[in-house]
Amino acid sequence: MEVTRREFTKIGCKVIIGAAAGSAVIESVIIRGTGAENSPADEYDWNEHYWGYIVDTRICIGCGRCANACKRENDVPFDEPVYRTWVERYRTKLDGEVVIDSPNGSIDGFPDDIPPEEVKKAFYVPKICNHCDNPPCVQVCPVGATFETKDGVVLVDYKYCIGCRYCIQGCPYGARYFNTKKGTADKCTWCYHRITKGLLPACVQACPTGARKFGDLNDPDSIVNKILDTERINVLKPDLGTKPKVYYVGLDREVR
Amino acid sequence: MQPHLKKAFTLLALAIIAFIFVRSLVVPLSFGQYGWYRGDALGDIRNFPVEYAGSASCGEENCHTNIYSVWINGSHKTVNCETCHGPSGKHVNNIREMPGPVNDSRDYCGICHYKRVARPTTFPQIDPAVHGQDMQCTYCHNPHKPWFV
Repeated sequence: MEVTRREFTKIGCKVIIGAAAGSAVIESVIIRGTGAENSPADEYDWNEHYWGYIVDTRICIGCGRCANACKRENDVPFDEPVYRTWVERYRTKLDGEVVIDSPNGSIDGFPDDIPPEEVKKAFYVPKICNHCDNPPCVQVCPVGATFETKDGVVLVDYKYCIGCRYCIQGCPYGARYFNTKKGTADKCTWCYHRITKGLLPACVQACPTGARKFGDLNDPDSIVNKILDTERINVLKPDLGTKPKVYYVGLDREVR
Repeated sequence: MQPHLKKAFTLLALAIIAFIFVRSLVVPLSFGQYGWYRGDALGDIRNFPVEYAGSASCGEENCHTNIYSVWINGSHKTVNCETCHGPSGKHVNNIREMPGPVNDSRDYCGICHYKRVARPTTFPQIDPAVHGQDMQCTYCHNPHKPWFV
């Protein structure tokens, strides 16, 4: 194949310009602005915070005021059996059988439907989204409608969610549900609209015994760090590698 | 360049241009601002209304100061106003919007104080069958400062 000098220069220039333009266009479109360091709002800097949550199962009394407050704060369908947070009751009977229940997510309290004489061990375990540092629900979302913020909260974009329910299947803690009012997947936000204004999540504020605690993991003096430093803590399903940020004090081995 | 290659490259270029054009229309502007999601979603979520205003807004604004000072010195001080009285956010913003009446039935007090096997034994609990003869709890107990009749 014979190529003149003029033709060779022409082809070479075309290739260089094409490669440069192509990669520039692809970069500008696909990776538009990722890794922007600025915060979404000026008065609240999400780089300064990294939120964490403590549940003390030893002092929970199973009153369900947390689940009640959560539904009212976040406009969760009140009469449907869907919950952003709920309380489970674990009872070990004398024959060793473990009964786990959560009637109406604990909102109406827990009647003793098994005679107390037949129960050898019993306790309550409040459950909530664990806001994993490695969230499986975010990985499976096909449209990018759920994400983890810089301050460590896993949120749902209600305008962008297509309601495919894949994340509900993907959550190993059963913390997500389908919101029939919104037509999207929904979950605990740690009351993101409250914590970014300096308030506590509604469930933490409603808890009468202080079994739920919320604070900043970045702040060494926060209540969460004080408990993490002194108490024996565990997380749910640590073997899954989801790195939950809800820490449990006094967790029984039966709790899943 | 050979003509059939020219045709193919032109088609490919048109396809890429069409893809970029359609994508720029379909993908929201703030998508990818902070990561692989719509950056504006953060603002949407942060703008949800706050329903539970907190106990401080009941007592520190010169409104319910008397009952607040009773409550803050009693053993129910860990129970926030809105845990029993319900969300007060609308009432705080507009005092004409009254919150609903509080549930003063025995069963409502019992949600915390009925004897239950799963409760910590140190928590004060009563057996409703033998305690108080079906009277309202508030007949003897002051819910804002228990143990002072």
